[in-house]
Amino acid sequence: MIDQFLLGLSVVLQPEILMYAFIGVFIGQLIGVLPGIGAITAISLLLPVTFYLDATTSMIMLAGIYYGSQYGGSIASILLNLPGTPSSVVTCLEGYPLAQRSRAGLALFVAACSSFVGGIVGVAILVLAAIPMTIIALRFGAPEYAMLVILGLLAASLIGTGSQIRSFAMVLLGIALGLVGADATTGYYRFVAMPEMADGISLVSLAMGLFGVSEIIRNASRRSPPGPALSITMRDVLPTRAEARSLVLPIVRGSGIGSFFGALPGTGAAIASFMAYAMERRFSRTPEKFGKGHLPGLAAPESANNAAAQTGFIPTLTLGIPGDAVMALIIGALILNGIIPGPRLAVDQPELFWGVIASFFVGNIILLLINIPLIKLWVLLLRVPYQKLYPVIIVMICVGVYSHRTSVTDVVLTLAFGVLGYLMKNYRFEPAPVMLGFVLGPLLEDNFRRTMLLYGGDFTIFLTRPISAMLVACSAVLIAFAVWSGVSAMRKPVHSTP
Amino acid sequence: MQSVTQDWPGTARRALSGSVLLVAGLVMLLICWSYPVGNLTQMGPGYIPRVVGFLICALAVAIIAIDVATPEAAQAGRMHPRGLIFVSTAILLFAGLIDIAGLVPSMFLAVVVSMFADDEARPLPVLVYACLATLGGWLLFLVALELPIPAFWR
Repeated sequence: MIDQFLLGLSVVLQPEILMYAFIGVFIGQLIGVLPGIGAITAISLLLPVTFYLDATTSMIMLAGIYYGSQYGGSIASILLNLPGTPSSVVTCLEGYPLAQRSRAGLALFVAACSSFVGGIVGVAILVLAAIPMTIIALRFGAPEYAMLVILGLLAASLIGTGSQIRSFAMVLLGIALGLVGADATTGYYRFVAMPEMADGISLVSLAMGLFGVSEIIRNASRRSPPGPALSITMRDVLPTRAEARSLVLPIVRGSGIGSFFGALPGTGAAIASFMAYAMERRFSRTPEKFGKGHLPGLAAPESANNAAAQTGFIPTLTLGIPGDAVMALIIGALILNGIIPGPRLAVDQPELFWGVIASFFVGNIILLLINIPLIKLWVLLLRVPYQKLYPVIIVMICVGVYSHRTSVTDVVLTLAFGVLGYLMKNYRFEPAPVMLGFVLGPLLEDNFRRTMLLYGGDFTIFLTRPISAMLVACSAVLIAFAVWSGVSAMRKPVHSTP
Repeated sequence: MQSVTQDWPGTARRALSGSVLLVAGLVMLLICWSYPVGNLTQMGPGYIPRVVGFLICALAVAIIAIDVATPEAAQAGRMHPRGLIFVSTAILLFAGLIDIAGLVPSMFLAVVVSMFADDEARPLPVLVYACLATLGGWLLFLVALELPIPAFWR
């Protein structure tokens, strides 16, 4: 394990790869700071660029964008009360009140440190879990894969915010979109309206439409509040000894919760941060302090979302099953680069596998180092009005989508998905499950059909194989939990999420 | 523009989003009905689409039922007609022009048109900004990344 990690470090510390790791986390932090552009948009914008890089380098860069954005997301939350990323919504709750009491520097420092600890804990768990998970995953057959995908899709729709039935419907919509094109087994064309769609719907189109274009339509005429005037001295930044002590346990709890929800397929950083915040408030001896700038309420979700951003790579790298929409996109990028993600990855391409993992360790250190010194730059960036940004993003989306397959149809489809994503959100349908269904759908169909073929259409096979039976049990627990929480929510209607 | 859709009364309007989903599911079933289905052991290409189509329809019916039953939760968000129109036009212009006119004019028009999605956009600043953005795009895509797209027609 140590050997493999050192092998990974030797890969990352090559100057060129280190440069791309830096570019990745820097862009990640930058787009995390900017509200209205998420990691998904940035990663899909950079997808065409990765075709010119080798698989290891592109993975390291794209992953860097993802966890880098978790760091950056807290900055806009604290300074402007605008969450830069979905997982920093709860950061607003405690961070912004602190900034209003002119303790923004302290809030940023605590957020950065909690993020770092969470990130490192996440990487450590990833390193520890990678080999055992790979060994288990190598024994996976078609039934296990099918069940795991089902568990992931159930988790994505049942845990988290928003209506569960709506999320599940969106997962199915994603699966339906994934069906377009030639059937993998028979080559039969399904839902092909135009010859350009014979290769299926482009992942880049779907992601940029659902997450990029739809947000631009929504935010184009939004006035962003003027950037904060900020002068931070070292004295404002450091917490007092008592404050520091009060943060240790919340950070530990947050990292734990984050690592768990990150590793679970179907849940990611956003859910982890919500859970950590809720947990922290429930077990706090002073719950009345929450919502008014309580440091533990800031530290726990910040460490949780960063831990989750790292452990989210456990299912992604060892099983090839993405945990959330961003991971789905990263898996898609791997496939486009000619790498089949799955348990063979660690065996066949240890440099890539461990290089990527080691890059997380290096990336977190870079992020901690650039976070506080560059705070002036981030504040400056927050002053750039959205009206100057979105036309550029539109052009980048158009050129990115077009150059990906030199297809005008893809550009038009991107717009269609943008409008769809916009309308969906207006009617309280989340776009992220669509993405997950889209990437996991073909995997599910393939493995389910193979299972049925191999075992003669016998459904009991899912219960007689031990790993598969365990996954069925997990799914059953999830459904029971969802039904239970649904029933109790009906008894007393609460609007819990902001 | 603010209050167009703030308070939608009527059962029909509350059921709108679920109904659209139901129609989508039905259309999906209609299209895939002719695909070979096979049986559980030997699934044809039409098997999974049918299952997914039926599930979408079932969930859509459930969503309609829930939305109709819970009036206060079923409100739709505010629409952004300006954003919808100008962003869509910008992207369609890009798509229509890229093969005919080349990258530079397409980018320029996409920036100009999309900037009017902001209701406070003024012509002169838009033109200046679009020129700068097009120059930046040309440097990034054609000079730095060397994408194989012609800058102008011929």
